[in-house]
Amino acid sequence: MKALKIIKIFLLLIICHSVSAQKYISKEGTISFFSDAPLEDISAINKSVSAVYDFESNDLVFSLFITDFVFPKSLMQEHFNENYLESDLYPKSTFIGKVISLNNDVASVKGDLTIHGVTNRINVIGSLIKKDKVRISADFKVQLEDYNIAIPKIVMYKIAEEIEIKVEVELKEIK
Amino acid sequence: MKKIIIFGLLVSSFIAKSQENLLNLLGDDNEPMYISYLFKGTKVVNGQSVELPSKGVLQFTIQHRFGTLNSGFYNLYGLDNSQVRLGFDYGIKDYLSVGIGRSSAIKKIDMNSKFRIKRQIKEGFPFTVVMNSAIYIKQWQSADAQLEAFLFTNQLSFTNQLLVARKINRDLTIQFSPTMVHYNLVEKSVETHDKYSVGVGGRYKITKRLSLNSEYFYQLTDKKNNNALSFGFDIETGGHVFQLHLSNSSAMIAPEFITKTNGNWLDGDIYFGFNISRVFTITK
Repeated sequence: MKALKIIKIFLLLIICHSVSAQKYISKEGTISFFSDAPLEDISAINKSVSAVYDFESNDLVFSLFITDFVFPKSLMQEHFNENYLESDLYPKSTFIGKVISLNNDVASVKGDLTIHGVTNRINVIGSLIKKDKVRISADFKVQLEDYNIAIPKIVMYKIAEEIEIKVEVELKEIK
Repeated sequence: MKKIIIFGLLVSSFIAKSQENLLNLLGDDNEPMYISYLFKGTKVVNGQSVELPSKGVLQFTIQHRFGTLNSGFYNLYGLDNSQVRLGFDYGIKDYLSVGIGRSSAIKKIDMNSKFRIKRQIKEGFPFTVVMNSAIYIKQWQSADAQLEAFLFTNQLSFTNQLLVARKINRDLTIQFSPTMVHYNLVEKSVETHDKYSVGVGGRYKITKRLSLNSEYFYQLTDKKNNNALSFGFDIETGGHVFQLHLSNSSAMIAPEFITKTNGNWLDGDIYFGFNISRVFTITK
């Protein structure tokens, strides 16, 4: 019983500690993606990406709304939401991960990326520069089939199976 | 040993929790989620839907209506007799669009504007509400204008409608369209100039790219003929939307199909028609 009490106290301590830890937040991060297609390149940008980075625990999370992706053509945006990402069913995409190493501003991040309701463990190398603000930028690729995104056989824009994703976020400290 | 394992489990579950707490910190669940894409096209079948062309998008529509299916092989079941409406719609804002079109057989030019008043919100406001106002000008020849009784204003008619739609689930949308049609000139002096009706329509998505649409306009006042009942398929192929439909009206503008429908479904007075629309992004 005593041991349990100690554990409880210890846990409480951790909680208290984590609350006071240095955390950085952004709600205006940018995530864009690009797909090379023979007929028409597909690109979109989301400028309302939320992100939190906990400097103590190295936790790093991202969250965005699929409907916030803006395409150069509204019809593409409609197809993206209605036919591919099904944003009515899966409105959000999240990344829940950890910075596992950080050397000379080069960060290795590991975590669960959820798109279209499918979660995959991914590993991304990017840059994480911490001054009074934290700047995170990364480029990585995802395979559409890993996230159960069906590409129809006959579509106007022959969609590549691999999508390049670019992340650019500046986080401010929570005070 | 057991305690250590329990402790380990607790800590690990706590770590997962801490990340979730970070997500909660973002607090972005409070934003209203607007419901979009209630219909595939800007029309249900003949009548306007609550959809507008997006801002900076020009939509070109070619509409065809053929003769009745019961007109026999001599007329190739109506295909010999075709009329056309060419129309342009442009999105000035995401909530405001204007359109212009011309119908061949009745020689009327129509202009309309649609204004979105409210949008359906998930777990919030239940409807998307759009106001549609249109004016129709009947063309005349110079000989007509020579007549003493000729008045430009007599060539005009108007439609005002409130389009109220709800996306009930991801496949089904229902729309009510209370409508007022006004004629500056009516055929008989006993006729009213204002004619009220209510439209009921909907679409059901059969697949991601195919939907079944239907629409019925019930005339509340001054009914002298049949109510228009129409069925259609919307087929989307990337940049184009094809709409195939069957209706007891051959008209493509509201005053005609609401108040001047003579066809009867049961007698086989069914008109086949199709629309092709194509969108062009003019400005970003």
